[in-house]
This record gives sequence, C-alpha cells and structure tokens, in this order.
Amino acid sequence: MARAEIFNIQHFSVHDGPGVRTVVFFKGCNLHCAWCHNPESIRREAQILWYPEKCIGCGSCVEHCPRGAHSFREGVHAIDREKCGHCFLCCEECYADALVRVGEQRETEDIFREIERNRGYFRQSGGGATFSGGECMLQQEPLRELLALCRQAGIHTAVDTAGNVPWEFFENVRGLTDLFLYDIKAFSPEVHRACTGVGNQRILDNFRRLAAEGSRMLVRIPYIPGYNDGELEAIALFLKGYPEIPAELLPYHSLGDSKHRALGEEELPNIAAPDKEAVAELKRRYGFL
Amino acid sequence: MNTEKVVVSREVMDRIGRLHDSKLAINEKKIKRHGSIDIDDHGFIDFEEFAFEPECAADGKVHGCALIGRNLRRFLNEMPKYINPDSALATCWVGTLDRFVPLGIGAEDIPRELEETRRKYRITQPGFGAMNHLCPDMEIGLKEGWQGLLEKIRHYRRRNRPADPDFYEGEEQLVLGILEWVEAHARLAEALAAGESDPFRRKNYEEIGRINEALTQRPPETFREAVQFLAHFQSVDRTYYAGGALGALDTLLEDYFERDVRAGILTEEEAVWILASLYFNDTHYTQIGGLTPAGDREVTSRLSFVILDAMHLLHIPTNLGIRVHAPLEGQGEAPEKLLRRAVEYTLADGYGVCYSLEKGIAEGYARNGFPVELGRMRVKCGCNWVAIPGREYPLQDVTRVNMAVALHYALEDLQKEGEPSLERLWERFCSHLDAMVDCIKRGYDRHYEVMQRNLPEIVLNLFMHGPIERGLNCSNGGVDILDLNIDGIALATVADSFAAIEQRVVEERKMTWERLFRLLATNYEGAERERLMLKNIRRFGSPESRAESWAVRIRDYYVALCKGTPTPKHYLMVVPGMFSHGDVYAYGKTLEATPNGRFAGEPISHSSEPDPGFARGIDTFSPVLKANAVAMTQAGYGNSAPLHLDIDTGLVESEGGVDALVALIHAHEQAGGTLINMNCVSREKLLAAHEDPGSYPDLVVRVTGYSAFFASLSREYRQQIVDRFLSA
Repeated sequence: MARAEIFNIQHFSVHDGPGVRTVVFFKGCNLHCAWCHNPESIRREAQILWYPEKCIGCGSCVEHCPRGAHSFREGVHAIDREKCGHCFLCCEECYADALVRVGEQRETEDIFREIERNRGYFRQSGGGATFSGGECMLQQEPLRELLALCRQAGIHTAVDTAGNVPWEFFENVRGLTDLFLYDIKAFSPEVHRACTGVGNQRILDNFRRLAAEGSRMLVRIPYIPGYNDGELEAIALFLKGYPEIPAELLPYHSLGDSKHRALGEEELPNIAAPDKEAVAELKRRYGFL
Repeated sequence: MNTEKVVVSREVMDRIGRLHDSKLAINEKKIKRHGSIDIDDHGFIDFEEFAFEPECAADGKVHGCALIGRNLRRFLNEMPKYINPDSALATCWVGTLDRFVPLGIGAEDIPRELEETRRKYRITQPGFGAMNHLCPDMEIGLKEGWQGLLEKIRHYRRRNRPADPDFYEGEEQLVLGILEWVEAHARLAEALAAGESDPFRRKNYEEIGRINEALTQRPPETFREAVQFLAHFQSVDRTYYAGGALGALDTLLEDYFERDVRAGILTEEEAVWILASLYFNDTHYTQIGGLTPAGDREVTSRLSFVILDAMHLLHIPTNLGIRVHAPLEGQGEAPEKLLRRAVEYTLADGYGVCYSLEKGIAEGYARNGFPVELGRMRVKCGCNWVAIPGREYPLQDVTRVNMAVALHYALEDLQKEGEPSLERLWERFCSHLDAMVDCIKRGYDRHYEVMQRNLPEIVLNLFMHGPIERGLNCSNGGVDILDLNIDGIALATVADSFAAIEQRVVEERKMTWERLFRLLATNYEGAERERLMLKNIRRFGSPESRAESWAVRIRDYYVALCKGTPTPKHYLMVVPGMFSHGDVYAYGKTLEATPNGRFAGEPISHSSEPDPGFARGIDTFSPVLKANAVAMTQAGYGNSAPLHLDIDTGLVESEGGVDALVALIHAHEQAGGTLINMNCVSREKLLAAHEDPGSYPDLVVRVTGYSAFFASLSREYRQQIVDRFLSA
C-alpha cells in the first residue's frame, strides 16, 4: 500500500462535489496562487504552524530542538525557520498546540477506513469522497489506490484538480473516478501566470481532452477581486463550447489568513472578499452556479 | 396531501404575534422575580400575590393520594383563573404545587440504608421518589372527557372495593377539582365577554365560555374543544409535578381536524392559532410524524404541517419533536417534505423541532425482549425520554450515575494499594460502578413499594391504561410495563482519562503514576504543560482513537451492569441510558480533577458526546465525527442519548445546507442514533447574547432535548451552549 502525504481530512463538506462528502487534502501543489486559502497545502513536505496565542511559555520547544531554532526573548517565543531541520520534535512536545505539525504520511488503507466510516452520510445524500489539495494528482500512486478502494466499495469519488499535470496522469485516474472538480482560474495565459506562477496551456488542453473523452466534470472558477475579475467573461465564453459541463463560481474568502500568519509568511494576500450581491450578479450574468 | 405552508392572514398573524409578545413579557417578569431558569422554559404565569394554605399530614408533609387530591382540588379552585385576550383557549398554570405545598415522602418510607452509598458516590438523582417521567395516552381523556373520567373512577372504585380507599378517593377529588376549575373558566369567559367592546374578542370569550361549559358535561367533540381539553390537562399536569407530555399530537387530533375542516367549521389558519394558543399555554412535549405500530404506514397528515407552522409562527420555546425514519417503500412525499420543512424552520428561526430517531429507539427497545411494534409506539415525551403513551413506566432522566466518580475512587484505591496498573484501575473502576448501579436498583425497589402511598401519579394515572381499572398507581403495577432507566454519564470524561493514562503513563512513560496522583491531588497547580499533555491526546470522537476504544469498553460494561440483573428484590426490569441532561456543570462542580486534563469543578462531558474541542490533528471538527461517536456509544436499548448540533448560520447560506442536514439526520438515524437537538445561530449573535442576555429576549435555543429562552438560562448553562457552538 502506498502512503499519501496529506494535511487534513474533513468529514462533512457540502462544497466539494455532490452531497455530503469526506474530503482528503493532499499536500503539495505546483501552482502558487496569490490568494491561496490553504497555504499549508503548497509545499509537499510537512511544515510547522505557529499559533502564538496558544503558547504557555513552557519552553519545551527550546529544550527539545536540536538546532536551536526556538528561543524566548523577554518571555516572547520566536522561531527561526531557517534553522529548522523539520524533525518536528518541538511539535510533538508542544501539548498546548501552539506549534503544530501540518502534513503527515498515511497509509491509503488507513485513509480509506476513515472515509468508509461515513458511508451512511454518502448514501443518504448522494455524496462520497473528494480528493483535494494541494494538487492530489501529483501523488498518483496513493490517489489511484484510494480511488480503486472507493470504487470497490461503491463510494462515489471526485478528484479536485487544477489540471496542471501531464495528460498521462489523467489517463491513469480517469477510469477510476466519477467526477473531476476542475479549476479554471484565468483564461489569458499571462494573467494565469501572473496569478499562479504558471501558464495555462496544459490546463486548458487537459480540460479539452477530458471533455472530449466524456469525463464528468464540474468546473470551479475562483473569483478573486483584483486578480481575475477581467477573466470571467472569457472563461464563460470558453465554457459555452461545453454546455453539458456545469461551472461554479467560488468567491474569495479570507479564512486562510491565519494560516498564512502561522506559516510565518510576512505578506498576506490583501484581498477584500466580494459582497454577496456582486457575486450573485456575476453568477446571473455568466450562468455560473 | 397538501404539504404547503398554511396561508395565514395578517389578522391571525398579528394575534399570534401578540401571544409571542405576551410570552416575552411574562418571561421577563419571571426572570426578575425568580432569576434564571435552567430547566424547561415552562409556560407558567407568575401571580406574585397568590398564596395557598395547604392541608398537611401529621408529619407536616403532604403525601398520600387522598390528601394530595384534596389539596389539588382546593388549589385549582383558589388559584387565579386566566384567559389571554389573544388566545383561543382558557387556563394557565401558576407554578408547580411543591412551591406552595410541602409534598414529600413519609420518613419511614425513605431508604435510609442507601444514604451512605449515595453520599459517597454523590448520587443526587437516585431515581427513588422520581415523578412524571412517562407519557400519558391522551386518547383516553379525549374519549372520556372529565365527566367520563369521574364516572370511570367511581365505577372501578365500586368494582374493586379496595381495602384502603385512599387511591380512588384522591383521584376523585382531583377530577372534581378539575371540573370546578373548568367551570370557573366558563364563568370567567362569560364575564370577560360581557365587558369586552371589541367584537372579535367578545365572540372569542363567548366561544371559550361555551367550550369550557361543554367540557364540564361531555367529552370534546370539535378540534378546538379537544385542544382546550389538552390545555386543561397540561395545566393540571404541570401544576402537580411538572409533568410534561401530550404525545403524538397529529395522530391524537387528526380526526377532529379533518372532520371540522370538512364540515366547514374550522379553517387551517384557525387551527394554527388554536395550536399556537396551546403552545403558549405550556411547553408540553409533542411529536409529529412516525410510523404506525405495524411499521407499514407513515402517520404524517396535513395536520402535522399545521402543527409545525403553529410552532414556527409563535416563535417561543416549544418542545415539538419530529419522528424520523428510513423512508418506507412506496411512501408518499409528505414525510420527507415535513422533515425538510422542519430543518428549514430550524435554520430560519435558530431553533425548532428536535429529531427523534426511529431505528435506535424501536429496534433498541426490542432488545429488552419487547416486540418491535411496541418500540414503534414509543413517542418523544421529554428531554430525551421516549415512552409508549399510557402503557409504559420508564423513569428516564431521573437517575445519574456519574462514572467519573467511580474513576475518582478507583484512582484513590490505586494510590493507597501501591503497584498501580491500568488493569487494576479498570477493575477498581468497575467495582465502584457496580456499587453505584446497585444502589439505584435498590432504590427503585423501594420506589415500587412506597410511591403509591406517598406521591402517586394522581394526574397521569387518569390517562394510563390500567391504574384506574386496577386501583394501582402506575409505579406500582398500574401499567403493564415497568422498565426503569439508569443513566450513566461522563462517558467522554472517563474514556479520555483512561486513554490519557494508557498513552502518557503506561506506554510513553512520560509521567509516573505517582506524578499523576500528585497532579490530580493538586488540581494541576503549576503544571499546565503536564495537564495539556494529558488533555491533548486523540480524544473520544477522533476516529479509531484509543479513547474511542475505551468509550466502547466503558459503555459495554455499564450496559451489562444494568441489563445483567433486574432489581434485587422485586425483579423489575432495568434499562441502561446515557443522558446527562444539561447537568454537566452540577456534576462537574463536585468532582475532583480528572486524568483527561480537566480541572476540579469543571463540567463533565455531555451524555455520550465527545467533549467540546475534541478534534485535533488531521481530523478537523465536523458534525459527522461527533455524530459517529454518539451513534457508536448509544446504550442501545431504546432510550435516547442526544447528538447536539449547533450549526453556524453560514451553512444556511451555502447551497445544499438543508439537503446536507437532512442527510445527516437520516444517516444518524440509520447508524443507531436516537435524538438530534439542533440550534442554528451566528457566532456573533450567540456571543453578544451571552454577554447581555437581556438584549436578546426572544432568542430561543435548544438546551438539550428541551428549548428555552436563552435569556432565562443561568450563565453556566449559557456557557454550555457557547462552548458547544465554538467547538463546532
């Protein structure tokens, strides 16, 4: 059995595919979206989240860190992330949960057992399991295993992807999943690159091929004021060629800010969440869900 | 079947709105005089000037059926009569009788031999002496009427010619008192009509007068008369001993409703107003929906929707439950629409019905050896209680075995003995738990022997199958089924404690037993890191955690203790339950620090729920994690242990919010859950109301199986709701 690098299992989601879903969040992404609300998902390796408000000042992190990354100055804890060797001893010893390891490797069978516990909710709601991230498609082996286990158990699956992977990766999982939640963040390659760090040629090509081959898809379009406002019309126009594929508009929210801070990032995405009326108007105008 | 919302005119909406405002004003007055009220909101009206001089026995107490009957008769005659100008119904109640009368059990009948054990194990709700926790069959009353009940008492008194006439004498005195009290309301209504200039109100008073007059002569014939009869009953039932159940309201009233609507003498909006008036009168538990005893048909009717709308429009605490089950093959759309509407109202109003779940209740009940058909007949009739109307004496929610106390003494034993081990701790825990359960069983034996001559169910006996016919109180063989519940509480507190010891002391050896004993003795003083070490394990609620295994082991042992043997003397059946009510503060207050990192005096865990904030690490909190834990640790014999869901209004705004909750309710039912209590409120509103409850007089919350004005609750009870909400 393969091991997946994951950072969260959410057992009751109504936003990630049909019905009530258990969402497994894979760690590691090859896009770097400026607005990412799961910043802990970007790096594949485990990281430390630091929540100063929970610190009780016990000093056990200082005591256990072999590289002197933790210190107290005038009673205030500081962490030097440059010195960190990622042994996570500090997190293990921090019972106050001020230092939290994010990301761990789990056997696919273990993950599946947790998914399976929620079958009753899937059955009642037409839900299932969603594999998200990060970019779950980058962990092909564990993803394939989880999809196969779910299929064997009759559990509906969805793969949430930004599509920025070789076509072969889609070939590998296409026959095992019931639905792709497919992100389109911008239509113009330049805007896409500016927003995410990469172009979108491969993403759109993969989308066209998946559509041509009849894979079930739900397109998800983040709406990030100041970043991709100007792209929505072009995306809507592009999707007109695929009338059978529904598309959902996901307005920006700032729930990721505290995690950006906990990762020690100095610069937070300075984006105002759009108001409800504006979002409703865009949905109406472009026929988005 | 018409499943649409009832179309209600502005005039009727305004009338119901005025009833709502009246309730707020009455409540504010009560809070000012009596302070917070942590139990059910109870619809009594406080008449400060009313006083009552009781007739007492030689020992200064009031006990025995005849003496209670005489006191109640006089009380009903003397207490203020009341008709709200916007209500369709007469009567109110003015507080429970024990506020005015020293009800009590004779000294010679109190089981003194159990007192030491009770003191040691801090058993403050021993079951012995408990009252009212059963469900009447109101069909008996609706068929007989008050006069018919009087004749029935006299008939069986003649037939049985009991050696001691006390029982029948008391019952007769009570019904005579009720008839006089109803008659007095007829006169009051006539007087109010005579002085009323508003044509609608005058006509309404005249109608109330006519109905009350008729009900002194014969059984109810119309829908409004039937509801007035129920209002009479619930006022008297509450007055005597805070009884609180009407049963399956849609089934009870369906024939009256259909007949009157067909005959053109009742409109749906009038029915909504009449039902709102009933809910204004009191918060007696009612149920809608569910299966027939055969399980082949759903009982949901048009009236079920009308009842739901009445609750929604009145918007005060009302203890309405909806019975939820897996859809039957070929079932129409109505039951699912009713469920959906109930969820929509919960999301819109912030509170609403509670969800009583079929499978765990009916199939669990069958495990006691009863046919499952009887299980289907059980109706939600209390905070967590379910009972067969008129046929069962279950005494749910009147006992608490605080399992954390057993753990406390087990730890003390280990410290004294030396050479502590986890298995020895378990042995000692089991031994103490055994003593606690045994103490309650012995108390129940005495209860069975003495309650008839002390505190009979003088009101509820009238609506049970057997007591009047046999001349026996329902606790004493008056009804066919005596199945006495014992609630084990603090499951998560104890399971997390065992798991913390197993992990930190036994396996990781991060702490010695001696250090653990020291930490508990000093209430973790100056040892915050070690406290958090014990607290922050994977706690009960985390999937496949060791705490979960402990919870199941503890539940299994507890259930076996209850079910293993009946009561020692009279062989009465005992049924295990795991309901703590909202009393987790009271039971925590007297409890020392526990090995799950809980400080002395902090609340224990609720029923079989994980502690708030249990989720950490990979598995973040979700209602599903909590629901799975609750379903997994049900006692399993048909008595409810609730799942509390406190939903953020944010979910409402998302697409599929209602669908998801409906799915969750169904899935929990299928997993063996028994009861869901749901609140929906924004974080901001809840926190603001906690700080300044007076500014939110109409915020209603479901505390556990009952609802209450948030402003009526003590700070501790409010905190309990806030804690639950913030951990979600």
